[in-house]
Amino acid sequence: MPEVKKWAMEVRMSFEKTGMAKFISHLDTVRCITRAMKRAGVPIWFTEGFNPHAFLTFAMPLSLGFESLCETVDFRLTEETDLEDLAKRINDALPADITVKEIYLPTSLPNDIRWAEYKIIFNNPDKILLDTAESILSSGEILAEKKVKQGRKKVTKEVNIKEHIKSFELNEENNKLILKTVLSSGPSMNINPMLLIGALVKDTETDSQDVDVIKIQSYTENMEIFK
Amino acid sequence: MVKKEVEKLLKKVQKPARYTGGELNSVVKDKNDVKLRYAFCFPDNYEIGMSHLGMKILYSLVNERPDAWCERTFAPWEDMEALMRENGVKLYALESGDALDEFDLIGFTLQYELSYTNVLNMLDLGGVPVLKKDRTSLTPMVIAGGPCVCNPEPMADFIDIFLPGEGEEVTNELIDLLIEHKEKGSTRLEFLREAAKIQGVYVPEFYNVDYNEDGTIKSVENLETAPEKVKKRIISDLDSAHYPKNFVVPFIDVVQDRTVGEVFRGCIRGCRFCQAGFIYRPIREKSPEKINEQCRSISDATGYDEISLCSLSTSDYTKIEKLIPMLFDWALKESINVSLPSLRVDNFSDELMEELKKVRRSGLTFAPEAGTQRLRDAINKNVTEEEVLRTALKAFDGGWTSVKLYFMMGLPTETLDDIKGIADLAQKVVDAFYNNPNREKGKGVQVSVSCASFVPKPFTPFQWEPQDTGDMLIEKQKHLLSSTKSRKISISYHQSDTSVLEGVLARGDRRLGDVIYKAWQKGCKFDSWDEFFDFSKWREAFDECGLTTEFYANRRREFDEILPWDHMDYGIRKEFLVEENKKAHRSETTPHCRIKCSACGANKLNGGKCDAGSKKMGNGSQNVL
Repeated sequence: MPEVKKWAMEVRMSFEKTGMAKFISHLDTVRCITRAMKRAGVPIWFTEGFNPHAFLTFAMPLSLGFESLCETVDFRLTEETDLEDLAKRINDALPADITVKEIYLPTSLPNDIRWAEYKIIFNNPDKILLDTAESILSSGEILAEKKVKQGRKKVTKEVNIKEHIKSFELNEENNKLILKTVLSSGPSMNINPMLLIGALVKDTETDSQDVDVIKIQSYTENMEIFK
Repeated sequence: MVKKEVEKLLKKVQKPARYTGGELNSVVKDKNDVKLRYAFCFPDNYEIGMSHLGMKILYSLVNERPDAWCERTFAPWEDMEALMRENGVKLYALESGDALDEFDLIGFTLQYELSYTNVLNMLDLGGVPVLKKDRTSLTPMVIAGGPCVCNPEPMADFIDIFLPGEGEEVTNELIDLLIEHKEKGSTRLEFLREAAKIQGVYVPEFYNVDYNEDGTIKSVENLETAPEKVKKRIISDLDSAHYPKNFVVPFIDVVQDRTVGEVFRGCIRGCRFCQAGFIYRPIREKSPEKINEQCRSISDATGYDEISLCSLSTSDYTKIEKLIPMLFDWALKESINVSLPSLRVDNFSDELMEELKKVRRSGLTFAPEAGTQRLRDAINKNVTEEEVLRTALKAFDGGWTSVKLYFMMGLPTETLDDIKGIADLAQKVVDAFYNNPNREKGKGVQVSVSCASFVPKPFTPFQWEPQDTGDMLIEKQKHLLSSTKSRKISISYHQSDTSVLEGVLARGDRRLGDVIYKAWQKGCKFDSWDEFFDFSKWREAFDECGLTTEFYANRRREFDEILPWDHMDYGIRKEFLVEENKKAHRSETTPHCRIKCSACGANKLNGGKCDAGSKKMGNGSQNVL
């Protein structure tokens, strides 16, 4: 017997998470968006298990403290819906710093994400960082300290993340150091920008927490924008 | 809006969303458009404070006024506090990001005694002098409300105005008055003189307290415009009282994160240990239509998927059989769960039982409070063992497999036999499960016994009673553990030192102001949190002030002693409390207010009206669990 689809549309919503919303954790963001959908009266499809809940799939969780211009969440609608109007309704139900960009029919799967572009702003770079950033990024080996599990213990391991940096561009603006870079991203291999930041500031006096990180765009294997 | 220098700190703290503001439904106004700015402070962390219904009510009440702006402030967690102090950042309100010292009115809610040091700490962090005597200008005016205000004396050194009773009306009157005096350019004293004339306003500096040599109170003299007794405020008609149309929806998980429908205020039960049961009298109910409408509005505006009903002893609501189907009618369609706390299942019709099964069920909780019938009679907890077991059985039939039992230890007249009775009752619940042929097969039963330490509180029949010492409580805890035989029963109890401090602060006098101040200076804060509570620092503070905890906690007071809170009028007659105390010692019960009015006196606050008198009991008066 063919499977009966219980929903009318599968859609993807892209949204920005900026400003103070960077301090909302991934799980809290999920709850926040679920509630916004409820307030907006979205005909969202619920799971049918023992504990029915709105079925939402976020492509990649965003680290606490990062801003993003390219978050996505997939969900199903139980009836045909005007997507432009839907986007507006959800947007109105969201807090100010989370903004819906578009709701559309997806052309790729979250698993297709392979790269992500970040803008990393060092607000107070010291001289050492300004002098060494370029050469570290250009060298054949970029060692980052990664926390990994070894059995039950958590240990710090040095890994070479060079092959996970697809490109980079450094600029100085108003005494700030701005790094635009494309890093490995996605379900199979994900490089948190904090790893790269750690590698860059390791031998400097620059505070690794005085850095703004903005996720700009997600890409597929051949650098097409994830849609 | 959080300021730039704060944003930097937020990257270094746990749960930064505690400090950002910007939540859905939070109210942002232009400070130039309002005449008065009010910082509502909850002296505990964000997660606790954001769960508090009173704050939500007053926040929306004040913000409904175009001429005032109410913002929220919570006690920062220690990581954030350290960074703030290190970087010279003052405690700010979440909506504007402005420091407390920029506000006209700073209001604290005193929900529990162990939050007192946080009040001092928050004022200090906000750039406001902690001691009232160091604040000489008209603003900021520091006010406080909440249940602890029924004995505000220990906090008298720090608070300008206390507001005993319900805040809805008096808050607006006080705001009107403060705006008027700001515009007139009045002094602090001029304002306080006028404020003291409002019913439900207590200005502690207008009362002079003298002590006897033994430390008891000799006299309390009212000065200036202050009345001899301060009568608490109540809202006469809850249907027309202000209730929020929406709640601020936190980003992070907070303790109570759901729609709350308040169903009534007051309580008919008269349990002699329970302060709330007396200080919120008389009982006043809201209509089911109103509750339903309010729940609907808040659920729509928040997106919450859960509704809970709020009151003391919710199942005493006379129209619950009407309210539940009204709520279920729309809530279930929208996948909204309705949770009903502290319900008497045996009081429900089978139909309602079926309705309740539709929603995800929470655990089943009983509060027998004491282990033997004799002691239950003494504390006037009119529950019989048979009723507990009958209700448990009905619940087991309905598929419940876990039961929570709440008890207290250290109750007046309690003996070790009463403690053993706790274990015996828990065992009987376990046996009831296994003897029930209809129980859910393949499942065991879990009985969780939770034992709080009894703390005598003002305005209860036990306000004169000595509190058990820590050693006595520890002995009783040991006895309970050794009396418990089944592994289906788990026992948990409360740390006894915190109860001692709670008891001291609850029945303390003004001299404790010095102790609280010293304890805070020694670093005491978040005293209700085990990881912060440091009794040794408190002991030092008591020693340095020449006071003892025993004087306040463990001493039996005579009925004719002047109590520190005697000049507060909560409607309840002192003679009634004396009579109830004597009956407790004779293990005599008092029927609840719907069976027979005991003339407690609280109805005089409401022009003689009391919702207990005019209502008929739904299902007969025997089901009183």
